[in-house]
Amino acid sequence: MKKVGTPEYNLQDKLKYHLSALSTAAKQVALPLNITTHYPRERRRWPDCFRGYILFDPERCISCFQCSFICPANAIWMKEAPSNRYYPTLDYGKCIFCHFCVDSCPGGALKPTKIHDVAYRTMEEMLTLTEEMVEPPEIIREDKVFVDYVIDTEDLSLKRTKGRDNLIVEIAPSQGVPMVSQCVDRASCIACKVCEKVCESGAVSSIKDEERLIVKMAIDAEKCTGCGLCVKECSMQILRLVRK
Amino acid sequence: MIDISGLVNLMIAEQVNIPLLYPIIYNFVLKIPVIGNIVAFLLGIPIIRYLIAFILWKPIFILLIIPGFGTLGTMLLVLPWLERKLVGRMQWRVGPREIAPRTRGSIQLLADSLRFLCQEVIIHKEAHKPYFLQFPFLYFLPVLLPLLFINAGTIGRTLVPIESEYALQLMIALISLMPVFILGVGWSSNNRFAFIGTVREAFMYFAYEIPFIIAILAMVILYGTSNTVGVVSAQTSWWNWGIILNPLAALTFFVAAVMATARLPFEIPEADQELAFGPFIEYSGIAFGLAYVMAYEKMYVLSAIMTMLFLGAGSGPAIPYVTPLLGDLYYAILFVIKTLIILLVMVNLRGVYPRYRLDQGLRIGWGAMLTLGLIAVAWSIVLGVVL
Repeated sequence: MKKVGTPEYNLQDKLKYHLSALSTAAKQVALPLNITTHYPRERRRWPDCFRGYILFDPERCISCFQCSFICPANAIWMKEAPSNRYYPTLDYGKCIFCHFCVDSCPGGALKPTKIHDVAYRTMEEMLTLTEEMVEPPEIIREDKVFVDYVIDTEDLSLKRTKGRDNLIVEIAPSQGVPMVSQCVDRASCIACKVCEKVCESGAVSSIKDEERLIVKMAIDAEKCTGCGLCVKECSMQILRLVRK
Repeated sequence: MIDISGLVNLMIAEQVNIPLLYPIIYNFVLKIPVIGNIVAFLLGIPIIRYLIAFILWKPIFILLIIPGFGTLGTMLLVLPWLERKLVGRMQWRVGPREIAPRTRGSIQLLADSLRFLCQEVIIHKEAHKPYFLQFPFLYFLPVLLPLLFINAGTIGRTLVPIESEYALQLMIALISLMPVFILGVGWSSNNRFAFIGTVREAFMYFAYEIPFIIAILAMVILYGTSNTVGVVSAQTSWWNWGIILNPLAALTFFVAAVMATARLPFEIPEADQELAFGPFIEYSGIAFGLAYVMAYEKMYVLSAIMTMLFLGAGSGPAIPYVTPLLGDLYYAILFVIKTLIILLVMVNLRGVYPRYRLDQGLRIGWGAMLTLGLIAVAWSIVLGVVL
């Protein structure tokens, strides 16, 4: 076993290290580097993929519940709107800003922003209703400068640029892996037509076979968006999501 | 029996007869041409003229305004701000800024002291109440008394309140009193952290006091006098300042001063991370404010002595037009600037060094510094023989 001891320095080394420490300090007093952002007066420019406050576009929502299902913190609850459709509400007291919901949204209804400084007075306020998610929150902007961190050969330094960083980014919705619903066990189908009712895009249709007095379900792979609603609702659990 | 009424009558008579003392006052009054006209005007007003004459009387002016109590108070307001700003620069931070941002947060300490004034002073049940409250105030005694012997002038322009053959010895004696007050603070706090801090303070006191005295002794031997007027007169220009003639004594004195004021490489008694401000842990409100500035007061006195012993006190190049206008004040200002530079170096060691352990601190005090001090004394004797 090797024992680690204190390093041994002779007087010359000690003097050298003392002088180098003191001269470094003196140099920094005269010409300091700086890595502190003066936050309300200037903001750091975050990348466009920053995981911040989430906005919601009801036009694109197909009420597929994917965001609510995938949320690891159980922060997204679906609430019924007057139009009998279900829309997400987001509890920022629980949200861990993983943005799985944004990634899983098949219609691109959830949109990430760079807003990361929202204050609430009470815990109840943190439950953001659907109507509040449509518009970005009111922000008092004091910043006139935005800051980038630049790593050059020696040190990290700040680069300040005049102007305001746009906090709401236009980012293309996540494509994800194109999925399609498929029936894996046609013989077990009881033709309850739940899948047809639940499908938003009209991809499921029923064909009545008059001769044998049965109803056959058919899924149009072209129309299917792969939202997975029918998979969840199928009473026999014979539908699966497969890759297109 | 002493006739008290007669004594009082005599005092009143002397008060009334002050105009007879004018020649004496005018001989002692600082010859500052800039405010000369204002002084002449104010001296025309009956009561204020006595006050003005009293304040501008040389010993009182030095003791009260520069480099005495007034400068000390200004330093206490400015120095912690400067310290935090400069250490912030070293550590790539910004330092205090939010209070008066246009002046870079320069009134931070004023705001802090206002807050201290408004806070409640909590005296816990176990504390020894009288000493607990008195010591932070009484600490001003050993801080201000050494300033009685300080010489802030230069050759031919002595600015010293009391001239004494034993000035340096008296200063050492008064400075040696300061740790007693800190020990008293820690003892009356009656707290385990305060107790540990107090014991550490006592240990460090033994570690630095002897090298400190020896460093001053080396300079006394070098100058051949312990009169502060003689000490300053010996340093005529920069090439025979004490720091050039005997750098080892200067180094020993500086390190001892850092130890004495518990600045960071030797912040052993206070040790924020483990003892949470050591002897001063129980203080709150304005009493904490006073306890907080105790170390800065001591630092100021020690830096002033270092300026006097090693940096030629108020000596410096005369600037045309400015020097004749300011008169004696010019040298006093030079003195304060030199003191401030030493203070800043002492204070900013915080941004460079981590803290030594108690045993390391003791070893440095009794080992390296004592050796350095003795070498400095030997060097002074050699120089005294050669010169």
